[in-house]
Formats: sequence, C-alpha cells, structure tokens
Amino acid sequence: MLDKLSLAKKEPVWKNNNKVLYFLGSTVLLLFCLPFFNVNSFYLHLFIMIFMHSVMAQSWNVIAGFSGQISLGHGLFFGIGAYATSFLFTEYGITPWIGIIFGMFVSGIIAILIGIPMLRLHGHYFAIATLLIAIGFSLVFRRWDLVGAASGLWIPILPTDSWVALQFNSSKVPYYYIFLAFFLVTFLLSWLLSRSKLGYRLRAVRDDPQAASSLCINVSHYKIIAYVISAIMMAPMGSLFAQYILVIDPATVFNIEISIVVLLITVLGGVGNIWGPLLGTVILIPISEYTRIYFGGTGGAVDLILYGLILMLICVFRPNGLISFFHRNVLDRKQKR
Amino acid sequence: MKKTIITILSFLSLVCLPAMGLAKDVKIGVIYPLTGSSAQIGKDAVAAVNTALDIINNKHDIPGMPLAENEGLSGLNGAKVSIVVGDHTGKPDVGVSETEKMLNDGVHAMYGAYFSSVVAAASTVTERAGIPFVNGDSASPKLTSRGLKYFFRVGPHDGMFTQLMFEFIQDFNKKNNANLNTLGILHEDTLWGSDSGSTQNKMAKEQGLKVIEKISYKASTTTLTSEVQRLKAKDPDVLLPSQYTADAFLFLNTAKELDYNPKLLIAQNAGYVDPTFISTLGDNAEGVISRSPFNTDLAKTIPMIGTINEVFKKYSGGRDLSDVPARAFTGFMALAVAINNAGSTDPDKIREGLVNLDIPGEALIVPYRGVKFGPDGQNDAVRGVLMQVQNGKYCTVYPYELAACDLVYPMPTWDKK
Amino acid sequence: MTIEIILQAIVAGLIMGLIYALIAAGLSLIFGLMEIVNFAHGEHLMLSMFTSFWLWSLLGLDPLFSVPITILLMAVCGVVTHYMLIRYILKAKMLIQICATFGLSIFIRSVAQLLWTPDYRNVENPLMEGRIELGTIYVGQPQLFASLICLLAFMGLYWFVTKTETGLALQATAQDRHAAEILGIPSDKMFALGWAIGLGCVAVAGSMMMNYFAVFTDVGINFALFAFVAVALGGFGSIIGCLYAGIIIGLVESLGGLLIDPSFKLLYVFAIYLLVVIYRPQGLFGRY
Repeated sequence: MLDKLSLAKKEPVWKNNNKVLYFLGSTVLLLFCLPFFNVNSFYLHLFIMIFMHSVMAQSWNVIAGFSGQISLGHGLFFGIGAYATSFLFTEYGITPWIGIIFGMFVSGIIAILIGIPMLRLHGHYFAIATLLIAIGFSLVFRRWDLVGAASGLWIPILPTDSWVALQFNSSKVPYYYIFLAFFLVTFLLSWLLSRSKLGYRLRAVRDDPQAASSLCINVSHYKIIAYVISAIMMAPMGSLFAQYILVIDPATVFNIEISIVVLLITVLGGVGNIWGPLLGTVILIPISEYTRIYFGGTGGAVDLILYGLILMLICVFRPNGLISFFHRNVLDRKQKR
Repeated sequence: MKKTIITILSFLSLVCLPAMGLAKDVKIGVIYPLTGSSAQIGKDAVAAVNTALDIINNKHDIPGMPLAENEGLSGLNGAKVSIVVGDHTGKPDVGVSETEKMLNDGVHAMYGAYFSSVVAAASTVTERAGIPFVNGDSASPKLTSRGLKYFFRVGPHDGMFTQLMFEFIQDFNKKNNANLNTLGILHEDTLWGSDSGSTQNKMAKEQGLKVIEKISYKASTTTLTSEVQRLKAKDPDVLLPSQYTADAFLFLNTAKELDYNPKLLIAQNAGYVDPTFISTLGDNAEGVISRSPFNTDLAKTIPMIGTINEVFKKYSGGRDLSDVPARAFTGFMALAVAINNAGSTDPDKIREGLVNLDIPGEALIVPYRGVKFGPDGQNDAVRGVLMQVQNGKYCTVYPYELAACDLVYPMPTWDKK
Repeated sequence: MTIEIILQAIVAGLIMGLIYALIAAGLSLIFGLMEIVNFAHGEHLMLSMFTSFWLWSLLGLDPLFSVPITILLMAVCGVVTHYMLIRYILKAKMLIQICATFGLSIFIRSVAQLLWTPDYRNVENPLMEGRIELGTIYVGQPQLFASLICLLAFMGLYWFVTKTETGLALQATAQDRHAAEILGIPSDKMFALGWAIGLGCVAVAGSMMMNYFAVFTDVGINFALFAFVAVALGGFGSIIGCLYAGIIIGLVESLGGLLIDPSFKLLYVFAIYLLVVIYRPQGLFGRY
C-alpha cells in the first residue's frame, strides 16, 4: 500500500504538465496586473465576486467533495465571519485583520459543536440538519440586540482609506488584491490538501466509510476535521465581504441563498475536484450578473429561471460537472455511481 | 504568448464597451426590488418614477406641480431626464453591484430603493463616489443618522410615524379623558419590522407607556395562533402591528377565529395599506387604523392627486396610487427640482441644490408640509396621517385638522362586523 | 395562563399538525419509493394553491368543489416531473439528486413569478367561513375542515398503500425495485404513480388552505421546511411516522409559542428534530 501511495503522489496532476503550468502562471500574472489596465470598478467588482465565490465554493468542496457530507447550511460560517469582524470593529475598534482570525476561530468552534453530534447522521438527515441549523442562526441573529438584531451592523465610513481598518473608499483596487491573495492562498491550500495524506484519508471516508474504518481510519474524527477546515476557509470571506460592503444584516449574510449558491457553483463545476469550484464560479457569476442586468430589470425573474434550468440540465446531462469536459480526474478515478 | 495578447486585447475591449452616457441629458439610476416578495411594490415604485418622468419631460397642465408645464428641465435648457432601472432583488450586495454599474454608466444621481438595508449599502457606494443618493420611501431611522453628506431622505422614517401614533394616543387620552396606556407590539422579523418594533418600544418607554407584550415572528409564517393567544390573554389597550400583506391577512383572520378584539389597532402601514387589503378582508377590516403618508381621500383637499393618479395608471397597468408609489413619486420630483435649481449635472452642485431645496407643501401630492432637509439629510417637514377603515374605505382620522371622519373607538368586535 | 388557553393552543396545534402531516406524507412517499428528497415540494404546494385560486378566479369554482380537479392536475404534474426530470437522476449521486430537485424549485418559483407576479392572492368570500365554538375553544371553520380533510386523505393514503394491490406493489418497489421488477411490477410506472400520489396529497392540503390563507409565489418555503422536519422526524420512508411527526410539530409550534416565546417558535421545532435525530438517527419509525 505504501508503494502505491508514493506512486500516486508522483503522478502528474495534468497530462501535459508544462503547458498547463505556463497557462496558469500567465493567468495569475494577468490577474495581478489587471487593475493597471484602468479597468472600471464594475469589472473589478465582478472579479472580486468571482474570487470570493471561488473560495466559498472551495470551502464547501472540502466537506462535500472530499468527505462526502452534504451541507445545505454552509452559509452560516460566512455570516459568523461577517459578524465577528464587524462586531469587534464597531464595538471595540479592533482591526478587522484580527477580526478575521477571531471569525475563523469562532467558526471552527461552532463547526466542532455542530459536527460532533451531527456528522454521524446519514446523508439526508445531515443535509436537513445543516439547513435547520443555518436557518436557526439566522432567526437568532435577527432577534439578538447586541449585534443589531435585524438591522445588523453598519460599519462607519472612515474619512480616509486605511489598511489597518481594512476600508478603502477611493478605489476598489486594494480590495481586489486582498481578495486575490485569499483566493490564491486558498486554492494552494486546497491543492495541498488534495495531495496530502489527510486528503486521501478524507476521500477514502467519502467513497467507502466502511472500508476506510477497516483500515483504522477514524471516520467520524476525519469528518469533523473536514468540517472544521471548510468552516475556517469560509469565515474570512464573510469578514472581507463585511469590510467591502460595510453594511451587514442577517438577511444578507445568513441568507440561505449563500449556502445554495455555493452548492450550485460546485456542482456546476464538478464536486471533489479542486478546479470544479473555480470553473463553476467563472461561469456562473458572470452569467448571473449579466442575466440580472439584461433580464432582471423587467421584474420577470428571467435570470432565476435560467439559474434553475441550468442546474437541472447539469444534473441530468453532466452530473460530474463541467470539469468532466476537460479531463478525467487522475486522482479520483473511482467515481462511485 | 499569443494567448496572453488575445486575453489582454479582449479585456481592453470589454473595458471600452460601456458606452459613455451622453452628457446633455440628466441620467438617474433607479433601483427597486423587482423580483422577490416585494416585487409588486418595487414595480409600483418604478411606475411612479416613470410617472414623474412623464410629468417632467412633457408638457402637462397641472397647476401647482413643479416642472410640469415645460418639456424637460428649464434650468438646464430643456434637458430631458432619463432613468436607468435596476433590480436589487432585496439584497444589499446586489444593490451595491447595480449601483456600481450605474455609476459606471455615468448616472448623475441615484434613487431608490425601498429596502432600508439595500439603501444603506448602496448609499455607502454613492457616498464613496461623491454622488447624491435620494430616497423617498425607506423607513429605517438609522439611514439618516450615519453622518453621510450625499444622502437625502424625502419621506418620513418610522420614528416620525411612531411619533405620530403616540401623539395621537396622548391627544386621544386628553380629548376623551381616556386612560390608554398599555401597548402590545407585534412585528415581523425582517429589518423593517424589527426597526419599527424597536422604535415603538423605545418611544413607548420615553413617553411613559407600558409595553406589556412585544412579539416578533418569522415573516411569512404559517400560523399566528400562539401570538394571537398571548395578545388576547394580555389584552393591551392599543395594538401596534408592523406586518406585510400576507401576515396582516393571516393575523386578522386568526384574530377573528380566536375572537381577539383589540380596542385600538394602529398599524405601521405596509400590509395594511396594500391595495388588496380592504377588498380581500371585506368587513373584517373595519376599524383598523394605519399610519400613512398618503391616502387617496386626500384628493379632496389635494386635487393634483387625481390627475397624477391618471398618469400613474398608464404606467402601473391600471393600479391606483398607494402609499409607496406616492412617496416614490414625491422623492423623485424633489430630486428633479433640486437638479433643476442647480442648473447643472455636477454632483456637488446637485448636492447643493438638495441642501438648499425648499418645496412648499402645496406642490406635493403627499400631506408633508414641504421638502426641506435638515443637516442630517432628513426632510424635516414630513407629516403623516392616521386613517381608519370605515364602511369599506380608509378615512383620514388624525391629525384632526386633516381628518375627513371621526374616529370609531373602540374597534368594532368581530360579531358586529 | 389558564387551562382553556392551553387547550386552545393544543387544538390549534393539532389542526395545523394534520396539515403538515399530509404535506409531509407526499414527500415521504416519494422518498420511500426512490430515495429522492423532493426539494421542490414547497413549490408544488404553491402550485396547488395557485391552481385552486385560478379555478376560483377564472371559473368561479369555490375551493371546496375544485379539489378533485386540483388533485388531477397536480397528479399530472407529478407524472410529468418524473418523466422529464426524475427519471434521469435516479441513479445519480445524492448530491446531484438534491441539486436537481432544488433547481426545479427555483425554476417553478421563478416561472410562477413571471406568469402571475409576486402579488398576494386571496379567495374572497369562500363558502367555508366562520367560527365554531366548543365551549371556550374557538376553531375557525375553514381550518377545522381543512385539517379533517387532510386527516381523511391521510387515512385514505394509508389504506391505499397497505391494503390495495397497487399500493402493495408500490411498497414492493420501495423495498426492492429489482426484485419487484422480476415479479412483473414495472418500477418506472410505480415511480410515476408515486409522484402522482405524492403531489396529489399536496394538492389536497393546498386547496384546503386556500379557504383561509393567501397565496403568493414564495408561500411554499415555510411549509416545505416543516415538511422536511416532519419527514425526517417521522423517519424517511414511513408514512405513519409523518402523521405523528406532523402532529408533534404542530403542537410544539403552538404550545412553545404560547408558553415560552412566540418569537422562537421555529427554533423549538428545529430543536426537537435535532434531539430526536441525535438520539434516534433513523427518526421515529425510519428504516435506517
């Protein structure tokens, strides 16, 4: 078994390694240089949304793709991250950078608290449990006066841009770079995770829990680890979002739609594959922005109709996600049907 | 290498695509919820803005209505006003995104958006960009307490309406030697309902009234029986509900079912002034009081309402003017008048125009005393009315000088309706 | 807090609970047959309510009389859903199945909004109106009638599934579709039938509610939530479980709201679910 493990590790991720690395490298370089092309702020906003949703989808991929537990309430950690930074800043003036770490910490704790009792539930039961817990959080926050109840927290606009307070009012460019940085780091971490011992064990747990436990892999232990990792990955996005929009309320950051969009993106792109969330985001976010712009103004919800239709079509015709057009995932050969 | 060049070129072409707005005309970005549960309200509001546009850009003979008699804005040599409409779907981040896009399209001001949370987020964007944001119809008091320089609210906020309700209670107690002093607050749990409920709670304490029951429930709930039961058990003198349409129906039906008869019910409008409220509930709506910045029976004292309503019906698919569109219309007209006065599309000049704006009450279709902003951007001259359903119609009952009917107290019980 | 007030709450909870139970039964039936959770169940409820409304608005049929037509239309809808969507995802991973019905729910809701606008609609002057007084307990006539009909429908469903040949064939397919096929029971047709009956249940509940409830395009969401909890609490695949779970949910919502704090009613229902599911993961009567 050890032989096979090291063989698998040495396997190239892509067939034609060099060309792809070159493509990746130049894309990253382009992304870094983008703001210098005098791109107007709407496009910067679009990219920021793409980066943010990629990280969110990637975090969901860890729990669903790598370890096979479907969470329908993942947006809860987004909300926690958002409230953590905003609360510390508006009440105590603590810099959001520390707030981000605090948010990750709180999310991790909550993930453990939820995970221990819930992760032993079978598929549908767990999915519904996460849904209810997420809605529960939304209801509690709507009534909790300490954090502003339904009005939420409105971060005061500072007179000048500030890296310490993570607030930039004259231009979006610093936000762009911060989101880009988180995006690249998360992507790298996910890639490392997928190639690490932990990643293999998680996938073993996903594909065949009984076989895995017969190999002395503590199934529930690893499921909880996966859940905690995905919570910690999600929280900073909520924090950064709060600093970007400066107005957060339970209806926005604890909205069930966040959990849903994250799920849709990953399914669209391809679950269990680190490129899936990225592909899904790059396709879905611009589509949803543009269909809303061109069709949404008529009030006919045409953009949502397209959304639902796309989702159904993917599920019927390309359940492995759009990534399956590009390559068969070398490391995930066994797609259980 | 080729790939990179192509990608660069395609990015550049995308960048240049948004066509520059022609500088001559005045362009205003308008955002409202056009999908989701408040979509009908959003559509009505947009219809109201279109009505205002019609009045401004064309010749109309409506004495007293500013900007009606000329085509376009005379202060800008007849420049026409055009709008760009966006759907914020009720979400602040979508509102932000729409606002960003409109700012890139070169709008000279932003207008909207009914949902206080969206207004809060979108006006942050405009504040950062130095573009004025005018709001006619969002009621959260917090919007004008942020110290923003480019945000102006033409309509009243819930604090003012609640103030009106409490003034009424005190006046009523004096006039009739009554002793109403216990309150019940029932509100739905979104931003609007929560704000309304907590404003009422706070003001009650300040005025020495006792809140003996404060209930918040999940919006669009399936049942309200426990809530009604508790209210019936505590039986406050005055019930103050803040509910949207479906909840208002459910509440009144449940109250009827459980025979809960509040002596006085003063609603924070929304569902209670929905155009289908009276027609659906029929007799069950008798005696309900609601605050409102607008009522169609004011057409007796303000004849302009009738004429404007006819124009409105063209854009709304036959629906009559109601609370939100009336406020939306007024807010947009105020913005247009300010731009006209400023004589320019420069955002800072428009802001000046708004700061110095002073529209008299006679020029408005709502019963405000006028439009004049305080230093916080709030129109201090607002005034609302309380109206009560009597014989199948909402009739203004307070302030007494604008009243068309006498108040019916206590509210008729269910078996009498 | 007198005994009468508590009794009133219990009665109210029972009434709502029976309606939740019937809605959940449809969901449970579908799951029992093909292990697919219909995340569009709330939207199907919304469709039934709208059907009932339009039959009243366009043809003047009171919701009481249009029930059979609504059932028929929703049953057809169920069959169509099966043949156009569900059939293709039967063998897919659970995630895909969830996403497919989820996409269906978004699709139905948005098309409804496009066609009918998000405005609230109500049936005016329904035949069923008024209130019955049993001592000091008040019960609305439409609510009582609705819940009795739901109970009847539930019993009818139970009788059908356990006593008739087709019902037994359904159960057989649910237990082991391959074995059933060998015995000549066409599983494809059974699934379609399951969908038809499942949505038929929802049709009954929805049209009964039109007597006193307003319909709007988002109305299904809250009911769907309770239905999911009821099915999970009762145990996926168990129809009797739905009855108990629906009643429990109705009672918890009503009594919890009355005795503790109505602002957190939903949390009590959720808490019950979470507790049951931790200590008895298969629900009350579930198969796994």
